[in-house]
Amino acid sequence: MIWLDLVIIQRALIGCLLAGLLTGLIGVFVVRMRLSAIGYSMSHGAFAGAALGVAASVNPLLTALSFSGATALLIGPVADKARLHADTVTSIAFPLNMALAFIFLTLSPQIGLSSEVASVLWGSIISMTNNDLVYMTALCASTVALIHFFWKELFAIMYDRKLAEADGINTKPFVYFIIFLVGLVVTLSLKLVGGILIFALLFNPASSALQFLHDMKKIVIVSPAIGSMTCVSGLMVSLVLDLPVGSCIVLVSTFIFGLSVLLSPKRRRKEVKQ
Amino acid sequence: MEPTIRLEKVSTIYEGERRPAVRDISLILNENELIYVVGPNAAGKTTLLETINGLLSTSKGEVFVLGLNVRVRGKDVRREIGYVPQDFMVEPGEPYTALDVVLMGRYGKIGVLNKPDEYDLERATEAMRLMGVDELTNRPMGKLSGGQQQKVMIARALAKEPKILLLDEPFSNLDPDSREKVPALIGQIHEERSMTTIVVTHDVHQMLKRCRRVIVMNSGRIIADETPQKALAILERPTGSRAAELLT
Repeated sequence: MIWLDLVIIQRALIGCLLAGLLTGLIGVFVVRMRLSAIGYSMSHGAFAGAALGVAASVNPLLTALSFSGATALLIGPVADKARLHADTVTSIAFPLNMALAFIFLTLSPQIGLSSEVASVLWGSIISMTNNDLVYMTALCASTVALIHFFWKELFAIMYDRKLAEADGINTKPFVYFIIFLVGLVVTLSLKLVGGILIFALLFNPASSALQFLHDMKKIVIVSPAIGSMTCVSGLMVSLVLDLPVGSCIVLVSTFIFGLSVLLSPKRRRKEVKQ
Repeated sequence: MEPTIRLEKVSTIYEGERRPAVRDISLILNENELIYVVGPNAAGKTTLLETINGLLSTSKGEVFVLGLNVRVRGKDVRREIGYVPQDFMVEPGEPYTALDVVLMGRYGKIGVLNKPDEYDLERATEAMRLMGVDELTNRPMGKLSGGQQQKVMIARALAKEPKILLLDEPFSNLDPDSREKVPALIGQIHEERSMTTIVVTHDVHQMLKRCRRVIVMNSGRIIADETPQKALAILERPTGSRAAELLT
């Protein structure tokens, strides 16, 4: 078990709650709109940006934000221009970002896996600052507000984008908006879980909630709750066992997903039918 | 008076395809007209509907709906069209109730930032009652049978209070009893609400009973625009004979 300053623990706890809430909430849209590759691409975009920040001795948060923002802004229009599914374009962006990340890390003046490089890769609760929490709180509030205002359109797009379009909803700005939001959420959650593992937090809570619920409105409440609970539990496990926080959070969230698949009433009823 | 739907030498080609899915189609539909569109698979029937509502862009020609050019005002046009796509099935476990799906049909019409109100809910429940699916209101969509899902989708289109109804094989999953009742009901609602209605179907029996005008399509072209009886005669000729005659 490791002992850390109470302030660091408090910051980490609040960070976990906020990151879990954000990733759990936005993850519902990623899963339902089948934007899974975007999750990978955003996280690796942020990772590449942070690596550039380390190499250039600039605040990695800023460069991570620029990279994931640019990736987010480009994916939608490029997919539309190339007439490819967004998932295909993100699959192209994903290795590109990884390649850039490794080049930047190679160019880094710091030797080996310095603490800054490692925090980009695996996350580091110690490096979490009050500013990070302020940004996350602001993003949390604006995300919840925007989802509330545009819930009707997002709900229809999640059901079927083509049908939503047939009903006269201009789906493009909403899909781009979700992609951009994923970029922001991933970047701000990077310090907690790290660039390699962050996407687990995008998919696992939403996929777990979908195992139990038939009501989309309940899912967007339960998924962030699962996300927050997962992050806090992962943090506790990491502190007790002295293991990396990001890895522990991913293990806990995967465990919760496995458990929800086993206990899912949807699955049980299907088996009884068979 | 401007027709409700006007197509002028329209061709629509899918990305990567060399041959247009619909070719040089000119068509006029007036207010309160009900037509059936028939033809073999890949005749271009679905493409025709999606060209009319602007989900597909034309590669040639112009489409005007309610006096608006679909290429320019597609969104506005679609807000006035109730559309039931072909074979739309929801997977079991999808987190949407039947009422969610029906109410969703009105979302485009309600407009961004506005929430559905009591009036919208009334239209949705009324449409569900009309289609006989009001008892399924809170049932998850994915748990409904194919026929029930199809009725919910028709209710969704009707809840919108559209000026135009585009139905693509809307009776294919219905049970024999509903196959008689639902087309009759569509005809009745069409009359009551003065909607311009296009029904794509393979059901020649319904075509004969429910309309006065039938469009026969083959290989992306309209090969006949006739009364149901004449259309049936064309359909019963050896495959391709009429098509070949008109295409050469």
